[in-house]
Amino acid sequence: MFRYISRVIRYLSLKNKNENNGAVTVENNNEPICADLKRNLQMIKEVMRDSSDVTIHEFNFGHDRRFRGALVFFSSMADRQEIHENILQPMMFGSLMLKEDVDMDFTQVETIKRNLISVTDCQNISLVSEIMENLLLGATILLVHGSKEALAIKSEKRKTRNIEEPGTEAVVRGPREGFNEDVNANISLIRRKIKDPDLCVEKFVIGEKSQTDVYIVYLKRVANPKLIEEIRRRLNRIRVDAILDSGYIEQFIEDAPLSIFPTISNSEKPDKVVAKILEGRAAILVDGTPFALAVPMLFIESFQIGEDYYSRPFLASIMRIIRFLSYLISFLGPAIYVALTVFHQELIPTSLLISIAGGRQRVPFPAILEAFLMLFTFDILREAGVRLPKAVGQTIGIVGALVLGQASVEAGLISPFMVIVVSATAIASFAVPAQTDSSTILRYLFLMLAGIAGGFGIIIGLLVLLVHLASLRSFGTPYLWPIVPLNFYGLRDVFIRMPIWTLSRRPSAVIWSDEGSYSQGSGLMPAPPGKNEGNSERKERD
Amino acid sequence: MEKEKISGIQLFLLLLGFLFGSTVILGPAMGAKNDAWLAIILGGATGVLLMQVYVAISLLNPSKALVDILREKMGKVAGNIIAILYIWYFIHLASLVLRDFGEFICTVTFPETPMVVVIAIFAFILVYAVNSGIEVLGRLGELLVPIIPLVTLIISLSIITVRDFTAFLPVLENGMSPVLKAAFNFVTFPFGETIAFLMLFPHLNKKDKLKNVVFLSAVTSTIVVIIVFFRDIIVLGSDLMSRSTFTPHLSSLLIPGLNIEPLIDINLLIGGGIKISVCIYAAARALSQITGIDDYRKLTGAIATFCVVLSIWGFGNVLELFIWSEKVWPYYSFPFQIAIPLLLLLLSLIKKGKSPNAGTKK
Repeated sequence: MFRYISRVIRYLSLKNKNENNGAVTVENNNEPICADLKRNLQMIKEVMRDSSDVTIHEFNFGHDRRFRGALVFFSSMADRQEIHENILQPMMFGSLMLKEDVDMDFTQVETIKRNLISVTDCQNISLVSEIMENLLLGATILLVHGSKEALAIKSEKRKTRNIEEPGTEAVVRGPREGFNEDVNANISLIRRKIKDPDLCVEKFVIGEKSQTDVYIVYLKRVANPKLIEEIRRRLNRIRVDAILDSGYIEQFIEDAPLSIFPTISNSEKPDKVVAKILEGRAAILVDGTPFALAVPMLFIESFQIGEDYYSRPFLASIMRIIRFLSYLISFLGPAIYVALTVFHQELIPTSLLISIAGGRQRVPFPAILEAFLMLFTFDILREAGVRLPKAVGQTIGIVGALVLGQASVEAGLISPFMVIVVSATAIASFAVPAQTDSSTILRYLFLMLAGIAGGFGIIIGLLVLLVHLASLRSFGTPYLWPIVPLNFYGLRDVFIRMPIWTLSRRPSAVIWSDEGSYSQGSGLMPAPPGKNEGNSERKERD
Repeated sequence: MEKEKISGIQLFLLLLGFLFGSTVILGPAMGAKNDAWLAIILGGATGVLLMQVYVAISLLNPSKALVDILREKMGKVAGNIIAILYIWYFIHLASLVLRDFGEFICTVTFPETPMVVVIAIFAFILVYAVNSGIEVLGRLGELLVPIIPLVTLIISLSIITVRDFTAFLPVLENGMSPVLKAAFNFVTFPFGETIAFLMLFPHLNKKDKLKNVVFLSAVTSTIVVIIVFFRDIIVLGSDLMSRSTFTPHLSSLLIPGLNIEPLIDINLLIGGGIKISVCIYAAARALSQITGIDDYRKLTGAIATFCVVLSIWGFGNVLELFIWSEKVWPYYSFPFQIAIPLLLLLLSLIKKGKSPNAGTKK
């Protein structure tokens, strides 16, 4: 009995499915466009019946108005002015001017393309599915009665932001322009900086529904072909509905998806991305987001910023070192404080120890709980402050300062030293924005280790961290290069930034051949004229 | 044969870390008291020679690890038996270093923590490091080992105010025999222990560097040990020095107005860590080759657990440990470090002489 019912249900559902399939044949199959204009339009209307922004405009043209044609486009995406001026006007009025003896056969779209319309980017298509594809990309479709082909004319109008200064990577000295959401504009920004035919821009379309354009941008002969091949392979295996940001791509192609350390760098600034491309890396640009990715990423890249290279080397080197120190403080600060006060009091000078003990006198909690409370409050404040409108954000700042600073100390909840430690940690964590995720997580982990086993725990944690970092690779490049594996030439640009004329070689972990290893000539140190005249002949670029 | 490669400088630093190992807290050749520096020089010279024997074995059998060499030269059965003995030796060595480490941490830093906790946590990290592969181990060595001489230097410079430069006189007060004995001890600990590196030499990317790398590391470590000895005897005097358990630690305590005790901890963590992980790696690798298991990583956990247990059960207390490592260890390790390697070298030389195209192979 049940079996019978289930069989009936299955039959019905199958039947339903078949019927559905019948209805959407137009969408799926590769039916060719037929010569009958009416039928074609009917078919398009059938598929797009729920989209109210489809515009179908039928018109007659030719000197005697005997040809019939139709334009199909999405009114929401197409540039009406362009359609009016460069497609409709020449077709309707331009063809009217033709002498009667010029007998052009306008049932061929190729003839129209060559003789009538004044648009550069049009493409002959012959399948119904192609019509849909192009329509969805924002093209205008020109159908002509009697032709088995149609024209897909690029007439997309995009509303994008202007090129603005990016919000995340502000600079004092250096280019201020930033990428925006239009990938073509972004590529033009890169091309404007590298005027070299070797600059390759490879296109991928990823996302079943979003059909997002993804570009790999690299310098041929400088970037490693194996690296590019690997990126292609990883991009090709992405199966996903939509790519809404380059972050999607990053998470699908990264080397260590379970590590807290990013192995792919991102930037909003064209100058930074161009610098990476020039070093032999490949950039991945995604339509719809200002954030470009660059692979491979080295750990030290988190500490190098564009401004290091734009300003003179002395202060830049000091700032480098300060950035390294602040990264250490940003995850070790509270842990070291707790380890010192709880486990290793003998390491603190006595007078300081007395004042710390004095400050902790009224505090009811153990130091580790105190630290957790403060860090937690700080993270709440930060998270709340990030997405607030500016006017309210200031309130958060004031409330935070009062709560975190004064009130909690006066109430005897927190010791004043803890406030100093946590605020120093917080400030330090903003000095290295590229590693914010890792430092935030590590801060809590190390605090726990310090609370359990003091300095021994911290050292054990550091060892695990180092093993992990040493085992990471980003697209085949050791993550900690050039510190390990040690490369003395590479060290010129790690803890200090040597003068720009000494950095003539590209990072040897990234480049692949001798051909691409030099980015500038040697012996470029500027010297006043007359001095060392004999031997300061500038060597030719290798 | 070996996929993973380490560079010359990485091998140099791994060897250096291995040689520092627990020497950084124990102060070797203390049996000779004032004349330990003589013993160190004698032992160091012999140690350099001994390590060149290992290098020669490795060069005569290119891209072969210890187990393969043993099996090839001694036949399958005898080779396997000796290889198993070697595995035991590596495990024993690892557990000895683990115990040294545990004793030091529990004596100096955490008097109330059970030693097994300290040792187990440490072993856990080392298993993680070994499982990450020999390349990662090499990179870690590169990153961490330079810290050891640096710390030694810092400590030595910090106590330069406390001094008695004549403390190592008189020379040869008790005759030559304690010096020779201490020198022999110094050869077996740490130089002879580098026999474990016969499992690592095939990973080196440039074979021609091997000789120099090994020579340099042995010489460097001898020099550092001599410096440490002179520092300690100048600061502590021979009497106090021969009675202290952890000599370098004691002298670091004498730095005026500053406590840098944790730096010694770090030294021990690095040196001991590298020594133990090399031992665990060698044991796991050898065992996987004998049993035909394709991946040594499956064995590291088991071997490390065994080391932890052995290190806890092996000795009752720190004095027993010290007496054992001074009185028994040198003779216990004599066959592993000197007798069998010399035999292997002999066999390799004979086989090389017999085979007509041996010259081209090299």
